[in-house]
Amino acid sequence: MSGPGWGRAARVVFAKEIVDALRDRRTLLVVLLSSVLLGPLVLVALSGLVASLEARAEQREVWLAGADRAPTLVNFLQRQTYRVQEAPADHEAALRAGRFADPVVRIPADFEARLAAGEVPVLVVVGDSGNRRSEAASGRVQRLLQGFARERAALALALRGVAPELVEPLRIEEHDLASSAVRGAQFTAMLPFFVLMAVLYGALNAALDSTAGERERGSLEPLLMNPAPRSALVAGKWGAVACVGMLIAVLSCFSFIPAQWLLRSDTLAALFQYGPREVLLFLVVLLPFAAAIAAMLMAVAIRCRTHKEAQANTTVVVLTVSLLPLVSIFNLGAEAPWQRWVPALAQNLLMTRVLRGEDIGVAQWLVPFGVCVLLTVAALAFVARVLRHVAVR
Amino acid sequence: MIRIGGLAKGFGAPGRRVLAVRDASFEATDGCITGLLGPNGAGKTTTLRILAGLIAPDAGRLQVDEIDVHRQPQAALARMGVLSDARGLYPRLSARENIVYHGELHGMDRDAAHARAEALAELLDLRPLLERRTEGFSQGERMKTALARALVHDPKHIVLDEPTNGLDVVATRALRESLRWLRTPAGGAKCIVFSTHIMPEVERLCDSVVVLAGGRTVAQGSVAELLARTRSDDFEEAFVRLAYAGTETRA
Repeated sequence: MSGPGWGRAARVVFAKEIVDALRDRRTLLVVLLSSVLLGPLVLVALSGLVASLEARAEQREVWLAGADRAPTLVNFLQRQTYRVQEAPADHEAALRAGRFADPVVRIPADFEARLAAGEVPVLVVVGDSGNRRSEAASGRVQRLLQGFARERAALALALRGVAPELVEPLRIEEHDLASSAVRGAQFTAMLPFFVLMAVLYGALNAALDSTAGERERGSLEPLLMNPAPRSALVAGKWGAVACVGMLIAVLSCFSFIPAQWLLRSDTLAALFQYGPREVLLFLVVLLPFAAAIAAMLMAVAIRCRTHKEAQANTTVVVLTVSLLPLVSIFNLGAEAPWQRWVPALAQNLLMTRVLRGEDIGVAQWLVPFGVCVLLTVAALAFVARVLRHVAVR
Repeated sequence: MIRIGGLAKGFGAPGRRVLAVRDASFEATDGCITGLLGPNGAGKTTTLRILAGLIAPDAGRLQVDEIDVHRQPQAALARMGVLSDARGLYPRLSARENIVYHGELHGMDRDAAHARAEALAELLDLRPLLERRTEGFSQGERMKTALARALVHDPKHIVLDEPTNGLDVVATRALRESLRWLRTPAGGAKCIVFSTHIMPEVERLCDSVVVLAGGRTVAQGSVAELLARTRSDDFEEAFVRLAYAGTETRA
C-alpha cells in the first residue's frame, strides 16, 4: 500500500470537510440566517419606504398652520383637489421627533391683507431635511405654493392687459431617459453588495476551520503524515469551502424571488425585475467568485496559528470585499475598464448591470471569470507550498 | 527496520542558529521495541518529526526498510504509523470517523478501514467510545483514538512520541500491553520506536534503548548492556551518567 491516488485523496478530504462543516450547526445557522435573510429583509424595508412615499403623494393633502387666515390659498389648494388640514400646534416638535412626516405651511396673521396690498407675504414651509419622508414631501408642497404664486401673478398681469407669456417665457417639461429597469436599479443597487457579503461570510468559517482551525487543534500534523499528496489535501479542503460558499450564493440568489412577493410597493415591484434569468446570471457571476474567495481566505488563514488570529487576519479580505463596491458609488455612472479586473468590484458591476437589464458582452463576463480562476490557482498553490512548513509548531 | 545515521537539523536564522539535532544515529529492528530516551530538549521530537517527513534534515540518512525517507516520503509514510506530539482530533467527528478518515487517506477502502477501526477498538479498549464525537473526550480517550488512527493502516513500523503523556496508570498499562503484543509474531512483529523520558517505562518495555543528549546519540543497547557499561545497578543512575557526562565535556 503506498497511499491513495490523487483523486481519491481529494474526494476523501472533501467528504470529511463537508460533513465537518455541516455538523457545525450553530455557525451554519447563524450564517444562513444572517446572510440569506438580510438581503430580502432590506428589500422589504426599502419597499416599505417607497410605498409610504407613494401613499403620501397619493393622499393629496396639505397641512397648514393657520388655514383660516388664508382663504385665497385654501381656495387654490382645493381647486387643485388637495384636502387642507389644520396642522397641530406642536408640529415643529412632532416633526423633529419624526412623529409627524409632512411639512407644514405656516401662514402669517396678515397674509390675506398683505396679499391684497401686493406686499409679498412670506410663507414658511416647516420641514425636517433630516427626516427623509418629510424631505421628499417638502418639494411637492413648494411646487404647489409656486403654482399658487404663478396663478396670482398671471391674474394680476391679465388685469393690466399683459400677456402671461412675458413673465414666463419658457415652460419646462421633464423627459426621463432612464428605463424603468434603471430606475428600479437605483433602489436595488445595494443588492449585489449583500449577495457578495453573504458568499464571503458563508465561506469564511469553513475556510478558517479547515486551515487555522486544523493547526490550532493539532490535527494538521497527523494529516500530513498520511501518504496522500499535499495538493490533493488542499484541493479537497478548498472544494469543500468553495461548495459551502456556493451553497450560500445559490440560496441567497433564490431568496430574492420569494422576497419579491413581499414587496409592498407596486412601483418598486414593477421596477425590480428579478426572475429565473437574473438568478442564472447572478450565479454565473458568483460561483467563480465563491471559488476564488474560498481559496484566498484559506491562503490568508493557513499562516495563522489559531482561529482567532485567522479571524483578525481575514478582516483585511472582508474589508476589501465590502469596500471595493463603494468605488462604483464614488465615480457615479462612469465605469472604467480597470474595474473589470478587480475582484468583488467586477462582480458588483456585473450584477448591477444584470439588475438594470443591460446586455453584457462576452468579454465582460470572461475577464472577471479569468481573474477568479487565476486567483484561485495562485492561492491554492500558496497553501500547498506552506502547508508542510506550517504544520510543525 | 528503521535506520537513522548522522542526522542533523538546526532552526533559526544563520547568525542565531540553534542545533536541535547534531548527530543522531540508531537502528530499530523488526519485532523489537526501541526506546528513545533523553532529557528535555535532547532532540527526540525533532528526530521523530524528521523521520515522519515533516521536516527536512540538514544532513543525514533515514531509511525505513530500504526506502529513503527524504527521497520517497510517500512510500516511507505508507509503511509507518506515527503518533506525534500533535495528536489533535476532529471534535465534530466520532472516534470511528476520525480513524476511518486516516485509513482512507492511507489508501484503504472504506469497508477495510471500518473493519480495522473495530479491530483496533477491541485492542485498545475503545469500543464504547467508537460512535461518540471526540468533543469532550478525556486525555486518555483522545490518546487512544489518536493511537488507533496512527495504526489504522496496520503499519510495519510504529513511531510514538511520548505516548504515555497524560495517561493514568491503567491506561499506561493497557498501552504497554498493546505494544508488547504488537511486537510478537502474532501481533505482526512490528518495529516499534517510542520516545520518552520516563525511566520505568523504558526498563519494563524496551528491548533496545537509544540515549539521546544534546542532539547526539550517546549510547545504544539493551537495558542490561547500558547498566553494565556504566557499572551501575540503577537504570536512572545509568541514564544520568550517559546523558549528562557528554554535556560536561562539551561545555
